[in-house]
Amino acid sequence: MGLTDLMSMAKPNLESREKILRKLRGRELINCFQCIKCTSGCTALKLLELKPHEIEKLVNFGFVDELAASDIIWTCVTCLKCVQRCPQKASPYHVIVALRNLAVEREAKVPEAFMKAVSQILETGLAEAYQKVTTRKMEACDRESLKLPKIPAPKEGFQAVFLKALEER
Amino acid sequence: MRVKVAVFWGCCILASQYAYEMSVREVLPKLGVELVDLREALCCGDPVRSVNDFAANYLSARVLALANLTGLPNLLVPCNRCHFTISEAKRAVERDEKVREKIVGMLKEEGLEYNPNIKVWHVIDLLHDCVGLKSVGKAVVKPLKGLKLASHVGCQIIRYSDLGRVDDAENPRKMDELIRATDAESVDYNEKLDCCGSHLMLSHPDTALSLAGGKVKAVQGLCVDGLVVSCPDCGLMFDSKQKEAGTTVGAKLNLPVLYLTQLLGLALNVEQEKLGLQLNQSPVDQLLSKVSA
Repeated sequence: MGLTDLMSMAKPNLESREKILRKLRGRELINCFQCIKCTSGCTALKLLELKPHEIEKLVNFGFVDELAASDIIWTCVTCLKCVQRCPQKASPYHVIVALRNLAVEREAKVPEAFMKAVSQILETGLAEAYQKVTTRKMEACDRESLKLPKIPAPKEGFQAVFLKALEER
Repeated sequence: MRVKVAVFWGCCILASQYAYEMSVREVLPKLGVELVDLREALCCGDPVRSVNDFAANYLSARVLALANLTGLPNLLVPCNRCHFTISEAKRAVERDEKVREKIVGMLKEEGLEYNPNIKVWHVIDLLHDCVGLKSVGKAVVKPLKGLKLASHVGCQIIRYSDLGRVDDAENPRKMDELIRATDAESVDYNEKLDCCGSHLMLSHPDTALSLAGGKVKAVQGLCVDGLVVSCPDCGLMFDSKQKEAGTTVGAKLNLPVLYLTQLLGLALNVEQEKLGLQLNQSPVDQLLSKVSA
């Protein structure tokens, strides 16, 4: 979805913009002067048409609600080139993370794998389940057969505290 | 020189990238680094970052609190993603008093104590800066002369520089220098800083695979003996998923991919099985026969 389409009918919401700035714990975002260094190096630009400088501008304009509801914020591959190269420290990556967090708070469409990782962590401490793998000769192996040590799951109290952490905004 | 460090593996290594874990456990002690596992297996918070930034910081802080239980001031984090997530959390706790107070309090509920002074290392800087190239070179008993390799450092241990990273963001050299310490050649190439795409496996798996496939295809074109990685996510994308990645870019990929610690293990003459080399899914046999010849 092109972001220009999505904002054509929208009205800016400065309260939502303020929310993002609060999440960023800094106001460097407003210093973005659209040099487009972020977009020219963006890994996700080539295949998914992510344009970080547009995200920066849209947030600055106050089109935060539209962005939080959009798929585009989930196309970032987190290579961090935009953070590295931004001359204004307006870090598009961190803006995208803040928008993702807002999308979750608003129960917008969030790729399932993220929520699944959270529930897996609640259950076992790890975001992934232990897998059986095979050698190139197709012999099945697991940690035990490879003589790798068993590392215990978090102790009982962890779950309750992690749940509490997830409620923080 | 001998040094004792705590080690945090994260999820990907413990759950599937066993070859990396085996080779780190095997090779580091031979280079004078003793590893002490943490009490528990835990996620660093990386996938949680997109859901709730605070909860991600809490998980990372909990990792540091678990490291604190070992009494050791150094923590080895062999995963790029975990290394970044923990570094960001350290900074958030350091800079934001409210976050710090909340997290310290939550850890206290579990009887854990946050220690801001634990230094976080990756395999690359631990070997390069702490063990030292000289010591690594001295430990080599089977020089890998004649091997031509490409290195893939990955994204999150080199960016962003303000956070204090393992190597230079635009011109990382440490991994190449470690490869050269084994007498192998490490080539420069245009796609060196291209990302493996692994984070997109969570939302756009086809795109993730085509990013990985595109890079493997480019490296294959360099006529090198293999691609060396040092992050479980990159290993997963370039090695375990190489075949799938090939279909997304319409190329037949057969590039040997191995972990830096597996390569070092070969130079230290460690048995291949102990380095988990049977687990690599890419055709590493080509490279191995060249090494043993």
